[in-house]
Amino acid sequence: MAVDESDRNYEHPLYSMPGLSVAATSVDKLLTWGATNSLWVFAMATSCCGIELMATAASRVDADRMGTIIRGTPRQCDVMVVAGTITVKMAPRVLKLWEQMPEPKWCIAMGSCAISGDFYRDIYSVIPGIDTAIPVDVYIPGCPPNPEQLMAGLIRLQEKVRAVRGGEWAPKDERPETEAMQKTAPSIPRLLSAERSPDVTLAQLLGAGNLGLGGALNRAADAPPLAAPQETSDAITTQAPTETSEGAVESPSEDEHADA
Amino acid sequence: MSASSAARPSSAAPASAARLGVDPHRDLSDYDPEADLMVLNMGPQHPSTHGVFRLKLHLDGETIVRAVPYVGYLHRGVEKLLEELTFVQATPIVDKNDYVSPMTNEQAINMAFEALLGIEVPRRARYMRTLFAEMQRIASHLLWLSTFGIDMGGALGGGTTLFMHCFREREWILDLFELVTGARFHYNTHTIGGNRHDIPAGWAKQVHTTLDLIASRIDEYLELSTTNSIFVARTRGVGILPKELALELGITGPILRASGVDHDLRRDAPFHAYDEIEVKVQTEPDGDCLSRALVRVREMKESIRLSKLLVDGIPEGPICGARPIKNPTQFKAKEGQAYVALETPRGELGTYVIGGGKNKAASPYRLKIRPPSLHALSALPYLLPGHSISDTVVILGSLDPIMGEADR
Ligand code: SF4
Repeated sequence: MAVDESDRNYEHPLYSMPGLSVAATSVDKLLTWGATNSLWVFAMATSCCGIELMATAASRVDADRMGTIIRGTPRQCDVMVVAGTITVKMAPRVLKLWEQMPEPKWCIAMGSCAISGDFYRDIYSVIPGIDTAIPVDVYIPGCPPNPEQLMAGLIRLQEKVRAVRGGEWAPKDERPETEAMQKTAPSIPRLLSAERSPDVTLAQLLGAGNLGLGGALNRAADAPPLAAPQETSDAITTQAPTETSEGAVESPSEDEHADA
Repeated sequence: MSASSAARPSSAAPASAARLGVDPHRDLSDYDPEADLMVLNMGPQHPSTHGVFRLKLHLDGETIVRAVPYVGYLHRGVEKLLEELTFVQATPIVDKNDYVSPMTNEQAINMAFEALLGIEVPRRARYMRTLFAEMQRIASHLLWLSTFGIDMGGALGGGTTLFMHCFREREWILDLFELVTGARFHYNTHTIGGNRHDIPAGWAKQVHTTLDLIASRIDEYLELSTTNSIFVARTRGVGILPKELALELGITGPILRASGVDHDLRRDAPFHAYDEIEVKVQTEPDGDCLSRALVRVREMKESIRLSKLLVDGIPEGPICGARPIKNPTQFKAKEGQAYVALETPRGELGTYVIGGGKNKAASPYRLKIRPPSLHALSALPYLLPGHSISDTVVILGSLDPIMGEADR
């Protein structure tokens, strides 16, 4: 969950092979060309934006011509396009799928739901933006964005990929938020944000675990498991576990809280 | 018990009795859990689950013994959200419920509010709403056909052939909507008392041209599917939903009609312009996946016929009966309640609304949406047992669920 940008400069193993250093530049150019023009998309299509994502892959706009194909499994993909509302129940699964994608990987937040939660951001079951959970490279605002906008986003991502592979520092894209949204904090603080009451986070995580999430949140293996919130003053209490076979849910470590 | 006894029904005469032995809450204790059954989780992120939906399959080899559906991965608290907003603000929110046919969602919520507030809709607006609903039905069924083509694993010539073709036609309909409303989908064009956007000049002619073209293409798809032996082999006799079970589960729409029940709210409880035109209801007796496919494809043709009638018959007049909306709290409801049900591409979409009374006059006190997709999904535990894994996606696809409205 920590957004660590330092290892996102991808170095191909070819670089370390002796004798290849002269050819490396042209080989690297070739590899960069290949990488930018074969961005395979893992469609994290949960709702309406997913339909526009399908339309982008379909006949009129045809993302195929940029080498962008939608694949059904995260293991074959370079880009995760988060298209749609991510709920508290779904977010750990998104994380799990994100982890299954091989490096180097990128993420596009498509639509205002994925960016900020849209008008559902105050709803108890919706997380206010996917960038509270995974690092986002390109934001595409709209509800839903047109297929053309998604294509523009993919081109923006290609630029970024080219820059990163060329050793440049690709600045982080700004999260497009209106002023009004910046002024009003969401009534549910963002998952993993520092202001968020740890009790509520824990309750949600445990609640997610009870819904059968299993090991999705067991990422911070060395973080001590949090105790069940018995003595919290908060009104939110967790339900009794319904699926005991699933793994215990642990919380992310403290420094990750600060990062997000 | 061996699972092979629950073989696929034979292709010739689909016997509804094949299903009636299935108990979705079956006790599986006669299976040794370690040795016999494998539990396979399908979803929540799976290309064939049409959204985020999880299916827990208990398998004996390739055969499904028991299926447990899990919903709620897209629960966005829409009903709660609508209680916080005013009547005027509700339309763009419900667009996102059934995001494959937003027009009928807008229609449903506004009809419920109009019934609660006692507002009349002018005739022109009623015609326009009906026309939009019929065109939306074509677009929605086209999207269903395209994804069904993918679910069938390329039975219709290559994995995404049908997908590409149907999306081409769907885009044309979205173009027509874009000309009226300015949006590809999530139109926000219905409002309390009528419509927001009037039809531009020359639009009717474009509708005719487009629909003629789509009609010829749909004939092609019908022929393509019914003469394709792989398509027929994978759908005929698969996932038989008997009439009684469908009625018991509250299933409506094309799925119910494919099980041989002649029920369509457009004809049986006409709303808007449906009492002035005659809807030919499409039914099929068998209740298998092929019937559901045929009903939907024929409904598309019927919708094309209706749309052409409607676009020619749009009368002159105002498009909105109420005062133009100046502020969101303009409409105040007395205490009271209203229930409106209408036929969407997926079945009966019911909206139940309670007026707020004194303290909360401008927004609903309570709002409940009855989504047809949720009821359709409730048939899965009955339909799946006895079939193989490869039939799962076909059966699920034939139910055409939209998780946005099932989970709300
Ligand atoms: S941004 Fe709009 S279109 Fe996209 S998923 Fe959210 S509500 Fe649907």
